[in-house]
Amino acid sequence: MNQENEVPKKLNFQVLMRLLAYTRAYPKLLLQGGVLLLLSTFAEVSAPILVKTFLDDYVMPGYFPTSDLALLAGLYIVLHLLSALTGYMKSMRFNRVAFSIVRTIRAQVFATVTRKSLDYFDHRPTGSLVSRITNDTEAIKELFVQVLPVFIQNIVLIIGIFIAMAYLDWRLMLVCLFFLPTVTGVMVLYQRLSTPRFHRARSVLSRINASLNESIQGMKIIQLMNQQKRFNQDFTGTSMDHYAARMANVRMDGMLLRPMVDLLKILTLGGLLMYFGWSSLNGVVEIGVMYAFINYLTRVTEPVVEMTQRLSLLQQAIVAGDRVFTILDDGVETIEKPRASLSHGEIFFDHVSFSYDGKKDVLSNIHHRIRPGQFHAVVGHTGSGKSTLMSLLLRFYAPRRGNVMIDNTPVQYIEANSLRKGVGIVQQDPFIFAGSVRENICLGDDYSQAQIEAAAKQANIHDFITTLPEGYDTWMSERGANLSTGQRQLLTLARTLVHEPKVLILDEATANIDSETEAVIQKALNALRGKITIFAIAHRLSTIQDADEIVVLHQGQIVQKGDHRSLMADEGLYRHMYELQQRSDDFDALEVSAT
Amino acid sequence: MNVFFALGWYFKLQWRKYATAITLFVLVDLLEMSLPLITGLIIDSVVSRTLTTQSLVGYGVLIVGIAIAVYILRFLWRITLFSASFYLAELMRQRLYHHLTRMAPGFFQKYRTGDLMARATNDISAVEMAAGEGVLSAIDGLMTSIFVLTIMTFIIDWKLTLIALLPFPIMAWFFKTIGSRLHNSFRDAQERFSELNDRVQESIAGIRMIKSFGREKAEDVAFLEIADRAAEANMSVAKTDSLYDPAIFLTVGTSYFLCVSAGGYMVYTGDLTLGMLTSFTMYLGYLIWPMFAYGWLMNIAERGGAAWNRISQLLEVSSPVPDTGTVTGVTSPDISIAIDRFQYPDTDAVALYDIDLRVPAGQTLGVVGHTGSGKSTLLHLLMRHYDGPETQIAISGVKLQDYQLSALRDAMAIVPQDAFLFTATIAENIAMGCPDAEIADIRRAADIADIDADIMSFRDSYETLVGERGVTLSGGQKQRIAIARALLLDAPILILDDALSAVDVGTEQRILRHLRDARKGKTTVIVSHRLTAVEHADQILVLHQGHQSETGKHRALINADGWYKRLYEYQTLERAVESGK
Repeated sequence: MNQENEVPKKLNFQVLMRLLAYTRAYPKLLLQGGVLLLLSTFAEVSAPILVKTFLDDYVMPGYFPTSDLALLAGLYIVLHLLSALTGYMKSMRFNRVAFSIVRTIRAQVFATVTRKSLDYFDHRPTGSLVSRITNDTEAIKELFVQVLPVFIQNIVLIIGIFIAMAYLDWRLMLVCLFFLPTVTGVMVLYQRLSTPRFHRARSVLSRINASLNESIQGMKIIQLMNQQKRFNQDFTGTSMDHYAARMANVRMDGMLLRPMVDLLKILTLGGLLMYFGWSSLNGVVEIGVMYAFINYLTRVTEPVVEMTQRLSLLQQAIVAGDRVFTILDDGVETIEKPRASLSHGEIFFDHVSFSYDGKKDVLSNIHHRIRPGQFHAVVGHTGSGKSTLMSLLLRFYAPRRGNVMIDNTPVQYIEANSLRKGVGIVQQDPFIFAGSVRENICLGDDYSQAQIEAAAKQANIHDFITTLPEGYDTWMSERGANLSTGQRQLLTLARTLVHEPKVLILDEATANIDSETEAVIQKALNALRGKITIFAIAHRLSTIQDADEIVVLHQGQIVQKGDHRSLMADEGLYRHMYELQQRSDDFDALEVSAT
Repeated sequence: MNVFFALGWYFKLQWRKYATAITLFVLVDLLEMSLPLITGLIIDSVVSRTLTTQSLVGYGVLIVGIAIAVYILRFLWRITLFSASFYLAELMRQRLYHHLTRMAPGFFQKYRTGDLMARATNDISAVEMAAGEGVLSAIDGLMTSIFVLTIMTFIIDWKLTLIALLPFPIMAWFFKTIGSRLHNSFRDAQERFSELNDRVQESIAGIRMIKSFGREKAEDVAFLEIADRAAEANMSVAKTDSLYDPAIFLTVGTSYFLCVSAGGYMVYTGDLTLGMLTSFTMYLGYLIWPMFAYGWLMNIAERGGAAWNRISQLLEVSSPVPDTGTVTGVTSPDISIAIDRFQYPDTDAVALYDIDLRVPAGQTLGVVGHTGSGKSTLLHLLMRHYDGPETQIAISGVKLQDYQLSALRDAMAIVPQDAFLFTATIAENIAMGCPDAEIADIRRAADIADIDADIMSFRDSYETLVGERGVTLSGGQKQRIAIARALLLDAPILILDDALSAVDVGTEQRILRHLRDARKGKTTVIVSHRLTAVEHADQILVLHQGHQSETGKHRALINADGWYKRLYEYQTLERAVESGK
């Protein structure tokens, strides 16, 4: 979390260059924008010259030929319209480039993150990953929308103004030139001095908010321990720290930002007037030129201030860019050179051991074979390692020792597509989204109606679907509210069966299933045995009573193996687990009945 | 504009600062407004050839003087005004915090952390803006417009003023229309961004499903769709936003055009001098800022007003439990509980009824029951989080309501269900209730809670930082630290609210044994799901659906062959299964 608040003192030019490189994909738009910018600036900057001409050549001598004046006025109006129009078009061009770049970066980051290996997600809170893809890219957007265009436009404008000034009177232009380096120097100084103060204020604010957040969550304890006064005092202290930090900022702003720029502007104005007055004492001067210069001077300060104020956005964009590039550079999950594909669906855990943290084994020496078409189940208390077995089979992680094999090939060497299609998983609380039944089964992949119906029939839900008003095109509401839980489960079974897997993993996450769903799953599993290899991870022992073989896990090790009858005959863990579940049901029934 | 009335109390409080700031604005404006006039005078004296070196130098000095004076005054008003508005922000933060410390837990159920944080951050900022920038735009904008218009009309030429000002209403109209369109497109863009966020959140949370179904490409497509919509919304905002510059440019340009044309003619006819025309043009420039300021002011006032309302609403919530008691100490820690019936406020369901028991001083009471049977409710009442008209709980013969709340809290040490640790060292966490405790006492409490050995095995032992930015402890370790924290208080009554759920039975029994030895003569209440925790209690209360269903000692309850016995056998079997037998 601290990372979010740390900002380096110097600008990271490498990251900046890399971000800017994204503009290379839009040469036409940038060229158009550039040309429009030059036109717009030219038009804007020429207007005061027309006024100067009007004043010096017509008003002062008192000479008013209508055709000349009409031309002048017309030109003035045209230039204004031109500047406004080209200005607008230029903005649109630059904006389009900016938003396209952001979209590209977003797509890249998203695609990269979703393809990272699973342990990448284990150690990173969801919130911070989401932040990278959304908030950080938003900060990068500001670079292209607020910082870059403003800098380019303003620099071109300032150059344009000085060129116009030089055209009118190069000596007067030199007087104004004093302004430019001075103000740039002041801005650089301001940036250097204000950045640490700015960050200090922000970090104190962070502290305040963290403290507030924690206090809200732990208020109960604070009150129970009668510590309100102490916490109040601490908070007040931090709050006043914040006040002091912000006042330091304001003093810096007051000394070096707008007031200073204005001071310089007024002094330059004074300089202009002095020079003007002095030249007039020694010769003839053109009033119109003076008028134009004053006009230009008023236009030169605002761009400078604007650029300075954008500098913090620039910094934030670079920091965000750095974070995003780190994600992109770290790359995606690499999979070994795939050699094989899945064909029969024989599963073999060959002395498999696995640990998440490298210290404690979550699975120890799991050795078990499931022949094609058989129905095996794995049971065990929470923390026995059941779900880890499934993760290994799906190649989310690699075993530390031993091999997880399908059809005599370690899963590491099975081609990705073949693995995803060949191993199907049915989860307990499936996601039904708002779409047709067909869409919920196909999940965006292409399957023929025949394939879809075959899967639905295998899942025992085809008949039900045909009773729906629009059959396979019937619209499902979000979370499948118009189906019963059992039907939802069967729908997701169809979803898995449609890609004709050779292995079916049933992941029963909790023991909370109603009897309807339980019966429905049992029936479907029985219908599938012999055709597909079934590997059920069960919480409820009653679901898997018919399995060919049941593996009992305890703390990562296999402690019992056998079918239901033989396991019940032994006075062992399986039998106790079974009894425990019976009694638990009794208790639940008791509570319900007493209502 | 209501926000300015609402903040009246603060303006009054800080009247000196605000009066100074306003005076400074006015001075700055007056000085700045003189510059165009001076320019005009110089130009005119050049044209009429009345300029002398002396007068030129005089003007020079004057200008430099004004520049420096304006610089200093500007610095001063910034410090004055913003010190006032920043202080307001801190004041509100402190008030809010203070208020929160006085709210009972029920308040924090109603107002979620996220909501409270938003009010404490965004809303306070919005009010601060109103008190600072808001005042600035309102008054400075007003002053500037008045001065400029006065000078333009009365000192220069009213006819020219009228002509040059013709486009300004149009500019105002532009601002208004563009502004409201911008407001709408901005809101749309925010919503699209929200959608983007939600989508990414969903994808990342469901990464397993994406991987197991091989849906990476499909997710990319769906994401891009939303990213595209977001980009379009942004383009909309940009389109509207980009209208501002041209709009201003055109209207100001027209204004200048009219001003120069008409003014030029008037110079020719002798009605106006060239110097005055130059001044006039400079003044025209000064009128643009008030137009911006006005729009901005509306924005700030609106947001500030809404924010102020939200904060006030929060500050007006009163605690459901009045602190009107007078008794300051507990003499003997015996508890008597008599509950005819109790309902939570704003609900119909009866949470507890027909409960009647006494816990003599020095005894241990165990409270068990299924989920939802009312165990937590009973504790809430004991801790006086709620009052009930038909409930009567007394300690040492004195009703809870008659104690001062702080005295009540001193009398009871509670280990709540979720062991919350603050971002601080372990020692500081344990000493939360007694900040001045010695390390020896802290270690003694930790030892009773069976956590001292664990802590000593950490690299920094008691100085280890825990909490959000520190080391992550296991559930069991956190609970034991919470127990140590409560033990250090050495209060007459100790309440354990399912505080041993994350430790194994062996550790649990050890801790309970230590407690029995260490707390002779003091009363203990243990609420637990696990019956082993209450086996040795002097009295066990079995709650069922909110009422007292069985009471007695462990042996008696087993013999009674009721719910207690069945649960006990079930839990024994469960333990066997958990250990692999």
